Amino acid sequence: MNEPMVTIRFDGNGRAYQPGETLSGEYRLESIRREDVKAVELSVLWHTDGKGDEDLAVHDFRRLSAEDGDWIDARSPGRFSTVLPKSPLSYQGVIVKLRWCVRVRVFLARDREVVGELPFQLGGVPAARAQES
Amino acid sequence: MARSFRLYEKKRGNRRTGSRKLGSAGEAVFFAALLLLGCGGLAVLFATWVVPEWRANHQFARGICTVLETQVGEKQGDDGALYRPEVQIEYEIDGVTYGVSTYDIHTVRGGGYGTEREDAEAMRRRFREGDQYIVYYDPSDPYVAVVIWGSSWPVWLSMIVPVSFVLIGGGGLVYSVSTWGKSAERRAAIVKRAAQLDPFSGNGASKPDFPHVPVSTNITDSPGTKLAFRLPVAGSPAWALSAWLVACLLWNGLVSAFVVIVIGGFLEGSPDWLLAIFTLPFVLIGIGLIAFFLRQLLVTTGIGPTLVEISDQPLQPGRRYRLFLSQTGRLKLNRLELLLVCDEGATFCHGTDARTETRRVCEQPLFRRDDVEVAGGVPFQTECELAVPAGAMHSFQSGHNEVTWRILVKGSPARWPDFERSFPVIVCPSVNGKSDR
Repeated sequence: MNEPMVTIRFDGNGRAYQPGETLSGEYRLESIRREDVKAVELSVLWHTDGKGDEDLAVHDFRRLSAEDGDWIDARSPGRFSTVLPKSPLSYQGVIVKLRWCVRVRVFLARDREVVGELPFQLGGVPAARAQES
Repeated sequence: MARSFRLYEKKRGNRRTGSRKLGSAGEAVFFAALLLLGCGGLAVLFATWVVPEWRANHQFARGICTVLETQVGEKQGDDGALYRPEVQIEYEIDGVTYGVSTYDIHTVRGGGYGTEREDAEAMRRRFREGDQYIVYYDPSDPYVAVVIWGSSWPVWLSMIVPVSFVLIGGGGLVYSVSTWGKSAERRAAIVKRAAQLDPFSGNGASKPDFPHVPVSTNITDSPGTKLAFRLPVAGSPAWALSAWLVACLLWNGLVSAFVVIVIGGFLEGSPDWLLAIFTLPFVLIGIGLIAFFLRQLLVTTGIGPTLVEISDQPLQPGRRYRLFLSQTGRLKLNRLELLLVCDEGATFCHGTDARTETRRVCEQPLFRRDDVEVAGGVPFQTECELAVPAGAMHSFQSGHNEVTWRILVKGSPARWPDFERSFPVIVCPSVNGKSDR
């Protein structure tokens, strides 16, 4: 049997968006049996990367939980859609980097987790360069 | 890829990927231990100090006693001799005469010792042999009696330690339990929801329209005289000066104690060379602190206030603004310049320390003039244009990372140390989200 995994796809296969635009797409759970899925969390989030400790904030968060009676069908794709915020914009700084992504976390039986992630660009800020001091 | 519970996981690059569950469990155990320690400490304090004192103050009966003898009790502690006052008294209750050696409730319970003999002597001298005094005794056990009562402040002061353990341990345990088994995203969603419910979040770190862009109210609440807004200066020089003064006094106060001992040794003809050599570097650091403080004092008092005004706020990439600069004082400047700078700041844990590193990613000269003369009473004034670079990153602030924009005023006075004053500004993303290039 193949390894369980999550695949995410944006509508129109877009990867760059502007604030206020709608980000939509779908995710699929592959090689995962329906009865193994305890919960699915979908987040549209940004996180920092670089020298500093990681900061993370969610713009949109949805949780489907079998325990709470939510119907989770592992065979059909799940859809998502959200209007993107005005900030913070994606940024490739020198020691501060800010990355946006859609992350799907699937909680399986026996305390296992499967995570799928698809990054995208919000805004059009070019990469920064360090200044000579 | 499916992941099950692991005690130990790999470290990939600079990202820690250790077991989250084990980390949470360790965190919970740590906070629970702190809570238990605090509760235990509080229980011991209550049992040994608070309850006996409260009983003596509220439940003991009042009578008259005669002082037979007073003395200073002594016992050997871990760090030397300990002393306490002891008063031998005699009193009569319901026709029965009792005789005890006492002072306050802690003496009765076998404590009440201190390191200073003089203090114990002074307390003992409050009672004269043969005189009569008021005694408070336990009605259920008349042999338990005190001649001093009331609350002692060290009891309440000593509670600070266990109470802080209880607060930190309890708070941490509640946090650990409430976030147990939750993903980082779910925790972030809970934090976001809590922030939205917070009635005081109006002055928080984010403006609703521009999340994670610092709010600019304190930057726009001061109108200017020439242009729309007067920019607040970051880090008032007076506060910095006060901080240096305190550091100077504390350091040199401590070092002077050693210096007095060293000099005393030399004067008495028995110099302690080891202590003198040990003290010397600390004295040099103290002199350096004094020199730095005097330099700061000179800069703060000698160079007058710097005033910067701007035509609009918050700023946007690609837009142009007017700036007004006013420099007061009585000084001749070799150079005076105005810069727009953008710095990235990252805070990270290094061992047990939290360190912050900054990196300049934009420095744009706005104005520069050589040989500026600022006459007393007539400030140097100038206006210039500020163009925020198109495509620039907006101001950003999160827990450990930030992007900040500032107007810097740099001066190089003749015969005086250089000075630099900083005026924060907020850069918002362009309305269309594009870089306005």
